[in-house]
Amino acid sequence: MEMVNLTIDGVHTRVPKTWTVMDAAKAIGIDIPALCYLKGVNEIGACRICVVEVERARTLQASCVLPVAEGMVVHTESPKVVEARRQILRLLLDNHPNDCLTCDKAGECKLQEYAYKYDVKFKEHDGWRRESHIDTSNPYIHRDDSKCILCGRCVSICAQVQERSVLSFGDRGYKTHIIADNERALADSACVSCGRCLSVCPVGALLDNRVIGKFRSWELEKEDVVCNRCEYGCEFELLRRNGKIVGVRAKAPSTDRPLCLKGRLTLDLLYNENPNMPLAKKDGKYVEVSWAEALELEDLLQKLEAKHI
Amino acid sequence: MLVNLTINGQQVQAERDMTILQAARSIGIDIPTLCYDERLVAHGACRICVVEVKGARALMPSCSTPAAEGMVVETHSPTVIEARKEILRLMIENHPLDCLTCEKSGNCVLQDLCYEYDIKEGGFNGEKKNYPIDDSNPFFTYDPNKCILCGRCVRVDNELQCTGAINFIDRGFGTHVGVFYDREFDESVCVSCGNCVSVCPVGALMSKQPAKFRYWDTHKVTTTCSYCGVGCQMDLLIKDNKVVGVEPVNIEPNDGLLCVKGKYGYRFIDHPDRLKKPLIKKEGQFVEATWDEAMDLIVSKMKKIKEEYGPDALGGFSSARCTNEENYLMQKLFRAVIGTNNIDHCARL
Repeated sequence: MEMVNLTIDGVHTRVPKTWTVMDAAKAIGIDIPALCYLKGVNEIGACRICVVEVERARTLQASCVLPVAEGMVVHTESPKVVEARRQILRLLLDNHPNDCLTCDKAGECKLQEYAYKYDVKFKEHDGWRRESHIDTSNPYIHRDDSKCILCGRCVSICAQVQERSVLSFGDRGYKTHIIADNERALADSACVSCGRCLSVCPVGALLDNRVIGKFRSWELEKEDVVCNRCEYGCEFELLRRNGKIVGVRAKAPSTDRPLCLKGRLTLDLLYNENPNMPLAKKDGKYVEVSWAEALELEDLLQKLEAKHI
Repeated sequence: MLVNLTINGQQVQAERDMTILQAARSIGIDIPTLCYDERLVAHGACRICVVEVKGARALMPSCSTPAAEGMVVETHSPTVIEARKEILRLMIENHPLDCLTCEKSGNCVLQDLCYEYDIKEGGFNGEKKNYPIDDSNPFFTYDPNKCILCGRCVRVDNELQCTGAINFIDRGFGTHVGVFYDREFDESVCVSCGNCVSVCPVGALMSKQPAKFRYWDTHKVTTTCSYCGVGCQMDLLIKDNKVVGVEPVNIEPNDGLLCVKGKYGYRFIDHPDRLKKPLIKKEGQFVEATWDEAMDLIVSKMKKIKEEYGPDALGGFSSARCTNEENYLMQKLFRAVIGTNNIDHCARL
């Protein structure tokens, strides 16, 4: 493989030509912040928080999509870079509710993490703010548009499975927002509640409705578990609070590991000490159903019952 | 003598001097508290622990209402919950909405309660406190704007630490906690023990940190303070294998208290100036040496002194930072090998 030499923050490194500057930095232990970037899923250079200073380049460059080049000299935390990141964070926060007090994402929120790192706070202003539009139509996915930072991760991951592709960007400019199908409520869209979008949202715009209000992220102990409902083997985390399992959560999916509602519910029933009842869409409305029905186990259970008799 | 009362429909037998709060906690019912501290005289200031007592005129603060015979108590009735919500609304109204970057986030009782009772803002649009931040103490900062006036700092200072550096100043909306004549901490009798910081339920009194960190990125390691012979129990806050803070543990012998050394004397651990190799003075300059070189030098000099002036010309002073076994060996070395009783230990001071 063809290799190139470059210098990042004074450290000389040699990496394959196909790598990005962000990959090269990561390999030598330099963590460049990223909001929209998700390897293999969303490589669109939209959020600009990953900008770095490249000597002799005209402007700051988005390191997540910038290929390495021979002799490149990169600074990842120079005053110019830090000021650019702070400005991006200021703009994001100006259009984001000051809600960390009770937000379920607090503690795991990338926007909060970077605001803390670069010491940017909410400020009072009388400019426009995105209106709060909370979609509670889907009992599995809680969608709060006002917290969305338009990173596009959910759109990309939804589009990875062909028949899904439910989420996309709607409108233009300041009015840009994430829409489901033709601007429908999630429950009325083709969404199958697989939860792929939940696992990648960097902020509190998409939350697992089944665990909202049950715990703060910092109270949790996590344990990895593999779903054995089918041969894909999607990876999940068991969430434990004070020794009790209070929820399951999907780790990031990929094209090979689709995630699905059935798997999530199966793990919920298997491990959660007090799971909410499942709901299924019937005639366009979500109604509570038995676990056997939700997990499509009714036929199997009937067969087993018949054999016993 | 025991009294019988009913809490949330459960029969409870409580000691006569127990409060409703203690009786409830004895059967596993958790009532939220902000100003309550089991080590301090009940204060009844924050009112978040109010409960409904059948036949009582108003809601009663469970932390300071004694349990009585025949009492019927509801700890989470709709009236109680609405009262708690209103208290939280009033508190958060006059509190900066700063959880995004507040260092206390993740360890803040006010934040926990607002989450539990789903309070996002006050909504009164009223006046807000606006005090300067006191940054004068080298170990902690005091932001009166985040103070909820629970008085835990004042009471731990006056009742347990007995320094009497801080108290309530002024009245009504202008009430705030401060040192005498409303001056800064470094002009007061404060001894920087940090016990007020340890009990603050919000982000008003915060330790100055050696590095930026979020509370949820740390884990705790319980250890014994090695500065003196008391053996205070404390939790080291660890982030990325570095000690970034110390919190007292509320068990014997220190019951949740520490002194300035235990609370803040930890920065030497990762300090760049910390000596990690022995230095030997050569031609007026300290030069790094190997342990073997240093030991050889010590042995040869001690031998020389003992030969010239006798064993009593030598003395040993051992450290509380060593283990018991090392301290034992130190005195053995001095008494049996060198032959002197000149041996002492810093924890005896």
